[in-house]
Amino acid sequence: VSERSAQPLSGIRVVDLTHDWAGPHAARVVADYGAEVIKIEYPKRLDGMRGAYLDRIDKHPRWWQINRNKKSITLDFHRPDHVEACKALVKVSDLVLENSRPGVLEGFGLGYETLRQVRPDIIMVSMSAHGGSGPYRQYAGYGGAIEATSGVQSLTAYGRGEDAMRIREVDVTNGIMGACAIMTALIHRQATGEGQWIDLSETEACTWLIGEHLLEFTANRGAQTLPLGNRHPVHAPQGCYPCRGKDRWLAITVRSDSEWRDFCATAGHPEWSADDRFATVKGRQAHHDEIDRLIASWTREQDAREAMITLQARGVAAGLVADAEDIANDPHLSSRGWESRPDSGEHGRSPGFPFRFQTEGAARYRRRGPDLGADNNAILRELLGLPATVIPPLDPEHLGTAFDRE
Amino acid sequence: LRVIELGGGIAGSYCTKLMAGFGADVIKVEPWPAGDKLRQSEPFIDGASGPENSIPHLWYNTGKRSVVLNLDSKRELDWLKGIIRRADVVVDGFAPGKLAEIGLGFDVLKSVRRDIILTSITPFGQSGPNKDYEAEEITLYAMSGLMYATGHPDREPLAAGPAICQLSAGMKAYIATLMAVYRRKQAAGAEWIDVSVHEAALDNFEIAVAEHMELGKKAKRANDEHALVPWRIFPCRDGHAAIIGGPIRHWLKAAEIFEEPELTSTKYAHMADRIRQRADVRALMAPWLSRHDKKDIFHAGQKRKMAWGYLATLADVVGSPQHRARGFLPEVHHPDHGHQIMLGAPFRPSRSPWRQQRAPQLGEHTSEVLQELLGLSPAEIGAAKEGALS
Repeated sequence: VSERSAQPLSGIRVVDLTHDWAGPHAARVVADYGAEVIKIEYPKRLDGMRGAYLDRIDKHPRWWQINRNKKSITLDFHRPDHVEACKALVKVSDLVLENSRPGVLEGFGLGYETLRQVRPDIIMVSMSAHGGSGPYRQYAGYGGAIEATSGVQSLTAYGRGEDAMRIREVDVTNGIMGACAIMTALIHRQATGEGQWIDLSETEACTWLIGEHLLEFTANRGAQTLPLGNRHPVHAPQGCYPCRGKDRWLAITVRSDSEWRDFCATAGHPEWSADDRFATVKGRQAHHDEIDRLIASWTREQDAREAMITLQARGVAAGLVADAEDIANDPHLSSRGWESRPDSGEHGRSPGFPFRFQTEGAARYRRRGPDLGADNNAILRELLGLPATVIPPLDPEHLGTAFDRE
Repeated sequence: LRVIELGGGIAGSYCTKLMAGFGADVIKVEPWPAGDKLRQSEPFIDGASGPENSIPHLWYNTGKRSVVLNLDSKRELDWLKGIIRRADVVVDGFAPGKLAEIGLGFDVLKSVRRDIILTSITPFGQSGPNKDYEAEEITLYAMSGLMYATGHPDREPLAAGPAICQLSAGMKAYIATLMAVYRRKQAAGAEWIDVSVHEAALDNFEIAVAEHMELGKKAKRANDEHALVPWRIFPCRDGHAAIIGGPIRHWLKAAEIFEEPELTSTKYAHMADRIRQRADVRALMAPWLSRHDKKDIFHAGQKRKMAWGYLATLADVVGSPQHRARGFLPEVHHPDHGHQIMLGAPFRPSRSPWRQQRAPQLGEHTSEVLQELLGLSPAEIGAAKEGALS
């Protein structure tokens, strides 16, 4: 197996026209596994993840993370030569990923029908808020609205009638669905030679997170199990319990009568399992509040991580409510070599890859998210052979951020 | 593409549901006699338990063929190997080591089929001190950092309603498996993929972890207050509207909608001003919001190019005119339950369209698959169907 083929998507070139989080995450997943992703940035309105301040556009760890392994070129589609440069790039690429409002690319002469004239087997994946058809096709969206409108947000709350809360993080899960679309199209092209257009509605992709709950609602005529706060629809007890220290918590689920006895013995309170009221799951559901108070009286004296280890040794599903610091120092993750650092030698620790192949080197962290226009010369001049005049000026008076007014 | 699903679980079932919908022949091998554990999962249709009635089963197993086998029987294990010989992918939802224990470890699978792709999905991966940890969705949501940042700062961290960690892992298993399939064409050879639900979910927290590693920041529960303002749901006359201050360049013009001149004054002109005066912005928007309904607010904001939304109940989702126009809530027919409303494709490929199908009945395709792939005679299978298996 050659070095070239260690990365499953080696040889695939992606033109990435997306911005913010969901689209860029989709592109990053394929970049991690070998695709050459060329991010096209609009200098007059930079990606929101580059922030509001021009002196810091290349300096955000979030940028380095979300856009790692990508190249950056700058084009302004109001310039005809830049529209042509984009077409020239598409001609030597496999896939175009975009998350503009439907119709925007067509307006620049870069819609799917045009691009397939340029390259007949091109794949285009369009990620929009509500999809490319229907009465809301022109509507915009960010995660904060899409999560609400998709129905997802209504199922998370401390209890019935309490405020619906956001979960973490539908921009990313929508990005992952975008990567699913990319792979679906690449497999189809490998089998048939055909490119295609994929219409991804982020609202629909988000609603896919609650498919079973919608089926419950429609099949059982309005029935709805969620929201349940931290409780489980079947098992009891389940909850999030305070531990020693500030803002330290342990999530515990007891899934059977025998686990309940093991839990009580481990906590040093066999008398709880001797209480007939708590002997069955029905009883534990009925007395959940009281059981929560008992468990909290024990956990408050415990170190969260040690209690997790002790309970897991007895087969009880207990999990530390990890904060970012816990994760950065997690012994399990560290034994799996999860954290990664760029081959480029640039400063930077980074969260690792989302899945692993047995083949060594399938995922690589070559470089962190690129500086603006870092690859203008390599792509526009060397790859596409365009004249020097195509490279736009990138000094501050020619730049604008997503935070500027119009 | 032929895919064999073993061991069940939400993540594996979700992965193969996507594969089946986009055209793969997914054979779900269920243990004899009761079938996949998902079939015993609540809630049930009309509250009546039974292997065809579990709503999670009816959702997660659409488009698959169901084959029931007794893997304690040497003969049936050999049948399974024969099926795997004619397959491309095995999606394994068993705990680490369990597949090898059954006699189907990666080395065995490779000897059965030289270029097999094995995708193993476990809560914490195939290695490391936590690999045998027990986990429910809440355990994984807690340990991947997501839960610490969900909820109210003065209350305990809050679990997610949806099974977001397992669903993230299921989608990643789909991506990883297709990457391996893609690569196999160029470099024939077997591949073993290790999907840890924990690590798959950690991707959802990537910014928070990156910012901690580089800047020492620690993302906290914030009662959903976003870094940008406004950027959350707010109460309105009949529920909640999602008032998003973006695209930021359109805000000042759009904010006239609130009929509150102060809100469009220079005092709140820049996002930095609004972030600094978060409570004031909220207070200035509140009177207009309290006089209007959520869907009207959604449309009014969108007319002004703002990316607004509203807090949809499940009834709102089912009634959405957008979903109706796009055919996102199609019906499928199930022999036991009649017509059921399902979700249409999660994305719409123009050339490799989604196949809308129902979940299989327990063992519905056992004979079909054994005849088709192994050439077994109906008599041999008949004996199996009698339960005279071992």
